[in-house]
Amino acid sequence: MSAVAVFAPIVIASWPALGAAVASAATSLGFSIVDQAVTNANQSQNTDSVQRVDLEIPGSEVVLETLGRDQRIRLVRDGVEALFARDARGRASVCVTGEGYSEEILRQVGEELSGRMVQHYVLQKLKSELDSRGMNLVEETVGEDQSIRLRVRHWQN
Amino acid sequence: MNVREYEITIGPTGEVELHIDGIKGKGCLEVVKLFESLVGEVREVRHTSSFYEPDDDVVIRNQQHH
Repeated sequence: MSAVAVFAPIVIASWPALGAAVASAATSLGFSIVDQAVTNANQSQNTDSVQRVDLEIPGSEVVLETLGRDQRIRLVRDGVEALFARDARGRASVCVTGEGYSEEILRQVGEELSGRMVQHYVLQKLKSELDSRGMNLVEETVGEDQSIRLRVRHWQN
Repeated sequence: MNVREYEITIGPTGEVELHIDGIKGKGCLEVVKLFESLVGEVREVRHTSSFYEPDDDVVIRNQQHH
């Protein structure tokens, strides 16, 4: 062993790349992706008991590719809705709402979802970039704490 | 031909821990730089003793003059 390095991720992504990471995170946490049109039609009438938590995803920047496209993804699980979007400053954000849920629970859900989204973004980026540099992924495992471990081999002359 | 092996752990909030194996000296720093460009900010680097060994392509000559 020669060294161990620790990195804090920075997410600079186009919306499609971010959307793919959100979809992977949703699957890993048991959320379903909801069609935006269906959600708008079924908006809850009673908003008084619906808690709402807004979280910004630190170190993120969503690169605009095409103006005017709908850059939002709505997820649902057990009465909790999470809406990923690009905020006015270009950062990725998530808004979590749920009737009958406390603010603390919704914040936990939002933090878990956004963390997992960053994890899957990093995973997808590393796999693609390392492959393009001729490095071979020889093992991929998921630990009990949901961390993802990759073993990569690189042959050099 | 040399083989280098990296073990990458991506935590549930996206932080990355990289274990570099089989590289000595500045080659190790090059790998850290590569991952910095791919992942983000370096938080910590811990070197093991082999980091301080000379690179494989470095020849050290120890001449004694009498």
